[in-house]
Amino acid sequence: MGLDYKLVLWNKHKKTYDKIIALGMLLYLVVFVALTLALNPETTAETMIIRAFGSLAILMLHIILVIGPLSRLNPQFLPILYNRRHLGVSMFLAALVHGAFSIIQFHTLGDVNPIYAIITSNMDYGSLTNFPFQVLGFLALLILFYMASTSHDFFLKNLSPKIWKGLHMMVYLAYGLILMHVFLGAFQQETSPFTIGIIIVGFITVTSLHLITAFKESKIDKFNSEKNSEGWLEVCEVDEIPNDRAKIFTVGNERVAIFKYEGKLSAIHNVCKHQGGPLGEGKIVDGCVTCPWHGYQYLPHNGQSPPPFTEKVATYELRLNGKKVYINPNGFEEGTEVQPVTC
Amino acid sequence: MDTIIMVFLIILVAYFSLGLLFGFYFIFLGASKVDPLMEDSKKKVRLLLLPGVIATWPFLIGKLFKSKPVD
Repeated sequence: MGLDYKLVLWNKHKKTYDKIIALGMLLYLVVFVALTLALNPETTAETMIIRAFGSLAILMLHIILVIGPLSRLNPQFLPILYNRRHLGVSMFLAALVHGAFSIIQFHTLGDVNPIYAIITSNMDYGSLTNFPFQVLGFLALLILFYMASTSHDFFLKNLSPKIWKGLHMMVYLAYGLILMHVFLGAFQQETSPFTIGIIIVGFITVTSLHLITAFKESKIDKFNSEKNSEGWLEVCEVDEIPNDRAKIFTVGNERVAIFKYEGKLSAIHNVCKHQGGPLGEGKIVDGCVTCPWHGYQYLPHNGQSPPPFTEKVATYELRLNGKKVYINPNGFEEGTEVQPVTC
Repeated sequence: MDTIIMVFLIILVAYFSLGLLFGFYFIFLGASKVDPLMEDSKKKVRLLLLPGVIATWPFLIGKLFKSKPVD
């Protein structure tokens, strides 16, 4: 939300989180090197760098993958979600160091192109256990490059939110490739039960949190209400909606957030135009619906971002009958003004 | 298998080479035509966008052709 693009959208809080990321990465690397020197003093510096940055990237990827579900389950995790973009780029840089040192150590001493060597040094593509695991890591790094290099609002706007989101959902493909990369690498090179055990715990954690969140979300999608004679849906009682907050309902296959503010009710589409954040999980700040993910704002009565910004979401008509709230499931065009209901 | 690998690598090199050529044109000239916010954006921002433009040039080239001149 700006009138020109900035290098990095820093504020006081983001700077603090970035310092935590940098210190956390540094601390991990120091501890990893210290433990390696204590337990395997014969390890070469190159191998230590490859393993330290590789394992750091995997750890960060797990944190990135669990932030989303955790913040849906508990809003206290939302501040970490705000900084996920910087965490993602930092993770890519760690993975890049791992990949670059691996290529230098294993593929630059021959007389063939190093990238060609990654793909052809082990041609056992038909084998399950001896499959060339470095190729999987290379493909994952390519996906992470796509994601990191497009982690800027310019790309979100100009690739369109749909394409941008699709591109960034490829993180799950990258995660799968990385899991296989680590499993096969561990099998073929060191047969380390510790490495395999840690990865299994990580996979179970990521999968469980996604399943729990999906189950919770499915309750919203299963919402079923009787239509009255005019086709309006009864959704809830007005007291069920907290002040300056919203309740989310699925209406006509779309999620809608009904906000209560200043003794009024308004309904807008639940999906933020920025990165698809759940507007109904945000709150009213300075009279505007504020997305919990990145702070994009919309006026509740017309779904428009306050000038000079131009984002718009669809609006819905509400009615109050006693304490019961009814919604017209046929939404209006994005940015259409709808008179709020007084409650 | 060798042929498949060679084809894959040629496509990869061609894709990123074209992306690099397009990228330099786009970040300094083309981007302002598709996005008015780029007009006042600094050189550092444009260079930061270069890797992403190289990666996603097929999407951006289409947008550039469809764009109308900014007044």
